[in-house]
Amino acid sequence: MNIYKNKKPAFFFLIPAFLFMIVFLYYPFLQNILNSFMKIKNLGGAAKGLNDPVYKNYLMLLQDENVRMALKNTCIMIVVTLIGQVGIAIILAMLVDNIKRGAKFFRIVYFFPIVISATALGVLFNLIFQFDGGMLSQLVGHNVNWKELHPLTVMMTPVTWQYVGFYFIILVTGLNNIPDELYESASIDGATRWQRVRFISWPLLHNVVCTCSVLAVTGALKVFDLPWVMFPNGAPLGKTWLTGTYMYYKTMQSPDIDYSSAIALVIVILGVLLSKVVNAIFKERDY
Amino acid sequence: MKKKVLSALLCGAMAATMIPMGATSVMADDGVSLNVTTTFAGTESNVQEYQDAVKAWEEETGNKVEDSSGSADETFKARVISDFETGAEPDVLFYFNGNDSNPFVEAGKVMSIDEIREVYPDYASNMNDDKIPASPVDGVKYAVPFYGYWEGLYVNKAVLEEAGVEIPGAETTWDQFLETCQKIKDAGFTPIAASLAKEPHYWFEYAIYNHDSFTTHTTLPTAIDDEAGKAWLAGMEDIKELYEKGFLSENTNSATADEVFQSFLENKSAFYVDGSWKMGGIKEGTDDVDNFTVTYVPGNGDRKSTDIIAGLSSGWYISKKCWEDESKRDVAIDFINYFINDERVSEFAGTATTALTNGVTIDESSLTNLEKDALAMLKDSTAVTGAAQDLLTQDERSPIFDNMPQIVEGQTSTEDALQGVLDAVEENKE
Repeated sequence: MNIYKNKKPAFFFLIPAFLFMIVFLYYPFLQNILNSFMKIKNLGGAAKGLNDPVYKNYLMLLQDENVRMALKNTCIMIVVTLIGQVGIAIILAMLVDNIKRGAKFFRIVYFFPIVISATALGVLFNLIFQFDGGMLSQLVGHNVNWKELHPLTVMMTPVTWQYVGFYFIILVTGLNNIPDELYESASIDGATRWQRVRFISWPLLHNVVCTCSVLAVTGALKVFDLPWVMFPNGAPLGKTWLTGTYMYYKTMQSPDIDYSSAIALVIVILGVLLSKVVNAIFKERDY
Repeated sequence: MKKKVLSALLCGAMAATMIPMGATSVMADDGVSLNVTTTFAGTESNVQEYQDAVKAWEEETGNKVEDSSGSADETFKARVISDFETGAEPDVLFYFNGNDSNPFVEAGKVMSIDEIREVYPDYASNMNDDKIPASPVDGVKYAVPFYGYWEGLYVNKAVLEEAGVEIPGAETTWDQFLETCQKIKDAGFTPIAASLAKEPHYWFEYAIYNHDSFTTHTTLPTAIDDEAGKAWLAGMEDIKELYEKGFLSENTNSATADEVFQSFLENKSAFYVDGSWKMGGIKEGTDDVDNFTVTYVPGNGDRKSTDIIAGLSSGWYISKKCWEDESKRDVAIDFINYFINDERVSEFAGTATTALTNGVTIDESSLTNLEKDALAMLKDSTAVTGAAQDLLTQDERSPIFDNMPQIVEGQTSTEDALQGVLDAVEENKE
């Protein structure tokens, strides 16, 4: 039985993944921190010494209107994500969990947007919100410049819609893990359907909701692809910058690598802080 | 024994995870696989011709082309530059030869024509060397020109007819053009289809050309208040005026170029400024190509309307990485030779200029009316200059090009935008 007490082999098998993480995640991350203090114009280009002052990029971050707009929009995105994605997913999961027939069908229907690429969805929603001949313009009977009149709504609607299914599946799985006996005994005790949801499903789903919330918050900080397809360069008039899209812009479109490294670091710090906040708010519980 | 076998299997699996997964073979099943990036994509001209030619070359040689072409917008340029910077450059590249190519030329990542000719003496020998543009970095020629471009004012004739206005011509002045736009707007059409959000390039070019001349147009401002600087500011003010008068597409600050181009094709907009490559997009996008013509962008000041922007701005590059790969070098040369022979260049060039020593062979009977109009426009042009924006790299241009909606909205002043360009140029010199 000694073989089970000896933990060394387990460590041995963890080494490859650990090395992989060091080489492809932690080392680039540390290098990114260093880069944010250097002068680097182009991606892959050599650093031309330290910035003067070394914290120049962080001063710029405080003065950059686009960063302020990106942070503001990202905060809105986090709220929208929590309410729109996790909130709707909870309601849908509870509803689907309470139906006997067709549950499988709804699971597939709600999960489906996840399997479509964000670029394709961006193109799809571009056509829906298109000024001339777009689906919504046709419905209201005249051309409406949706993307300029309501840029944030137009940007956040498809992002929210896309990921509802992701959290829905996690939550449905969480609900399935709740033993049927609990519901049965509650029914015998005369609990109504609402009481069963309120006093059994919801408390036992708490930790799953907490995980979903952390994923949603960190996901909102990184969201990039769909907004970029629909609103490149922060269009219109820089109103739709997000931390993810602005970092990409400063890396690829208008290269300033050291500055984009500083933005990346801010995104990571925000991600860690906000996930701590979410964890503190929801506090995982043991049942 | 079973445990030993299991341990061996687990160790093997662990070792397998350590093997780098990036190694790829350059050999296709029956030949060499060549990574090619060009601007033959989207609604550019000759996309189908390019794809057909690639297919024919593949069948002829048994080699394979891994094509990653894209429309020549700022995103595509950023992708090409970052591919070079991250060591993922293509083997063969059809790309701009102006300042857009500076980053990879400076890094020594492409081969010069002279270096190639040391090994392949006949390489591009059908080209007039005097017409091959040199790199702004070191004056060395790297890109073999394929065919050139011109920029002009495409016109939707049906819209003008319904609005009761004439097609602008060689004698049309800028003020007359503004009056025409007003009449078109009053008739319920969009006078100018333009995407300031994604493609302000062409209007920017002619707007500043209207405040300098063909002798000074390709002079970069060194200060806001020097002659070139004043021309750039005045040009941007003209674009702002077009916007404020409601002559540009209503969604110009958020639309993609394709979106506004579609409104032009669908008889909703009257004018569209673009390059010669857009003729292919018009031919493919409409059943009635005769409804479209191309003419001069109306002039102002020292610039006659017939002074146009044209040149040989792109060419075929071979990357150094490809050159140093013995298995690919011959294939890359063969691929480019397939495209730059007289017959193929004539087929692709159509009405555009080329660097061919013998010139192009055009069968005028096969041309559409739009192409004939383009030939007439070129024939009657009085002066030609290159594009001023080619003097800048992508990041240097971005304070103006990425902020054009903010400029026309008055959120960014034209002076601040130009100063941003000058600062970026200065920073890149350091």
